[in-house]
Amino acid sequence: MKGLEKIIICRCEEVDLEEIRQTVSQYGSSARETKLRTRAGMGYCGGRICRPMLDAILKKIMGDKPQDQIPLKIQPPVRPVTLARLGDGLHHDD
Amino acid sequence: MHDVLIIGAGPAGLAAAIACREWELNVLVIDEFPQPGGRLLGQLHQEPSGRWWNGIDEARNLLDKANDLDTKIRCGVSAYHIEKVDHGFKVHTNQGVYEATNLLIATGAAESAVPIPGWTLPGVISIGAAQVMTNVYRVRVGHKGIIVGVNVLSVAIARELQLAGVEVHSMALPALNLVNEEHGHPKKVMDRLLPIAHLAPSAWVRLGRYFARGTWARNLAVRFYPRQGVKIWGIPIHLRKAVTKINGNDQVESVTVCDITPDGDLIPGTEQTISVDFVCIAGGLYPLAELAAVLGCPFRYIEELGGYVPVHNEQMETPLDGLFVAGNITGIENAKVARAQGTLAGLSIVKRMGQVTGELEEMIDDAKERVQREREEAIIQFHPGIQQGRIKMEAVYKKICTT
Repeated sequence: MKGLEKIIICRCEEVDLEEIRQTVSQYGSSARETKLRTRAGMGYCGGRICRPMLDAILKKIMGDKPQDQIPLKIQPPVRPVTLARLGDGLHHDD
Repeated sequence: MHDVLIIGAGPAGLAAAIACREWELNVLVIDEFPQPGGRLLGQLHQEPSGRWWNGIDEARNLLDKANDLDTKIRCGVSAYHIEKVDHGFKVHTNQGVYEATNLLIATGAAESAVPIPGWTLPGVISIGAAQVMTNVYRVRVGHKGIIVGVNVLSVAIARELQLAGVEVHSMALPALNLVNEEHGHPKKVMDRLLPIAHLAPSAWVRLGRYFARGTWARNLAVRFYPRQGVKIWGIPIHLRKAVTKINGNDQVESVTVCDITPDGDLIPGTEQTISVDFVCIAGGLYPLAELAAVLGCPFRYIEELGGYVPVHNEQMETPLDGLFVAGNITGIENAKVARAQGTLAGLSIVKRMGQVTGELEEMIDDAKERVQREREEAIIQFHPGIQQGRIKMEAVYKKICTT
């Protein structure tokens, strides 16, 4: 019964647990390398949903211990934002 | 240019704003939700004294105080990036850029998902989303549902759903996989439930007594856990049943539940299908600290605090000059602790802005004591080791700031 059912981990990029497990097992990959190979964590939500799950998988397979930095680097924008907004730099002084 | 910009209008952010306004600082509070109050808005539970904690009223009290002090609060404003600039911070939001001398990040927590087959079907929502729908929007989540994941938060929200007239069939664990060991292993779940054992009628109190006697007793309690579950407020809570998948074509139609061993392994041949029209997944909370990370604030992983937490001291200062944190971003605790931390952070900001008076020092000391008192008096602790977690963090801060 185990493994027959797909378990989505990264909703935004539709990456499932088996794909991530295989990638980590095959390449012994870090959080960042796993992201680059599978696209898990690269979607619309910026990894807010799958980051804790990716950490848990890496911990389980690679025995990664928590470090002093968040494993998958958090980069702006941390919320979806339109290109128009990114471009205009409008200032508020209210 | 504001003296202080506060991100998050929950209990921590609003309490901080009030403290800063009382000392006449120029304050702006922003929040991405359409109304202020943060997660207070969803909370409704009865305290052991019999008094009801109604989060909407608590939020209203804070808001009234903030308004009396002419506090500027902007809702629907979402910060996506922060830069450190000379003498302050530049906060980029969907409504433009704001600048401030001091910054308080009080963004609270996010929920961890519980991935099992079918968890992305429409009709599956997080337990926190169910709380917001029910108590903030007053929208029925569904007619009959099951909660996957048994923890302090999900048990409390199960009760709220019940009070709102939504049928909660039962609560059970997620089937074990690579990701959800913390939530799918009966013994680990049992350990975390000890703090709420007193909420349950006699059956759980009896189980609770076992806990005190050590691991062997805990193991026994899991081994002989009643097959029909233990009821709290009439809702069966199962630690020896796991949801193996969520079924449905276009939306949730049923779940498959299977008996499990004390170690969480599925017992073949015990599968059962239960018709439901919604499923809540409950994987606990973790500090939502993205904005502090973007700023380059140092972090530490402290399990008792709920995960990666920005380094800070007892006064809520981070090692970055002018950057403060308060509330669940510093560790998962209840709203009263968050509110007390907010007041303390606000006063620390007042001090940084140049106020040197005996009165302020006294207020800061009182605020520190208040945080500690709220922590000790908390009815529900999200992690039993919270106090040790706080001590670890204080040591980390000292180490970082003296080297």
